[in-house]
Amino acid sequence: MKQRTGAVLLAGVMGGLAWGGAAAAAEGERVTVTGEAIDTWCYYSGVMGGPEAVVGSAHHTCALWCSAGGIPVGLLADDGTVYMVLKIAGDDTANGGDTQLRIASHEITAEGMLYRRDGINYLVVEQVVADADIVRLTHEDFGVVPGFAIPDPQ
Amino acid sequence: MRQVAFAMALLAVPAAAQDFSDGSEAREWGLYGESKARFAATVVDPLCELAGDCPDNCGDGRRQLALLRTEDDVMVLPLKNAQPVFSGAANELAPFCGQAVEVDGLLITDEDLGARNVYLLQKIRAAGSDEWVAANKWTKDWAEANPDAAGEGPWFRRDPRVLAEIEKEGWLGLGAEADADFLEEWFR
Repeated sequence: MKQRTGAVLLAGVMGGLAWGGAAAAAEGERVTVTGEAIDTWCYYSGVMGGPEAVVGSAHHTCALWCSAGGIPVGLLADDGTVYMVLKIAGDDTANGGDTQLRIASHEITAEGMLYRRDGINYLVVEQVVADADIVRLTHEDFGVVPGFAIPDPQ
Repeated sequence: MRQVAFAMALLAVPAAAQDFSDGSEAREWGLYGESKARFAATVVDPLCELAGDCPDNCGDGRRQLALLRTEDDVMVLPLKNAQPVFSGAANELAPFCGQAVEVDGLLITDEDLGARNVYLLQKIRAAGSDEWVAANKWTKDWAEANPDAAGEGPWFRRDPRVLAEIEKEGWLGLGAEADADFLEEWFR
């Protein structure tokens, strides 16, 4: 039984290594993804607060700033997977481009090619097939994040 | 038992390879999941690496750029430059397209959120160079690209494209009516 356990574990490890090698080759996969266009820096770093506060309407203004500022835009799917958008509908201006700016905080459905490498999901969007606008009304729970996003009119 | 020990040793390899703090002079940001990381790499265009879509000069600044780490061939994606002003790292990397470099900054790792091999770039230098370049030129690039937006205050309060989006969709992105209701409460 011990030998069997070891063999299974070893097979798993070797399988993992083989998967790592395959990932490095970055085979593309045709996918359809639905998710919110997020600011990946605030989401991953926690610099502005927890992940539930840096999505949707509460974080919309900051998402505009980050997108215009050239921070990579990701699609956050309902299962928590983040897809880094490298190109969208023929526009490869992922460094602060207009196409990605216009969809900040929107939930979109995108068809395209997915490439997985070193733990990151990279998405080349060929077509946006649906745009549901902003669906997470997070301002109702968090106000605006960061709090200074809207200047005090006084 | 020996097989198990061997397997565990193999498992330990990726974890050990994740520590690149040796010699790092990166400034801590106090972020959850941050770790100092200084490493040698090549600046690459990820669209070229992954999809074979390879324009000249890494897309002349249009694209996100990545760091192909020399030690383990891991492709690290910088999300942020060194400036605390909502600015990315692609402008800092673009002058080094295709070049061997050394970088210093912070890796962000958060397994709960799926954050792996993403990076805050603080400084960069060409391989063999003694001179570090601070990763803080984004605001200068923005000012040069937006001469009509000159004025007081941070760039993100003056950026014409951001202002146009807010004018069109509101601060919350939900339109003028939603903004009006919210702002009355928010600034009460």
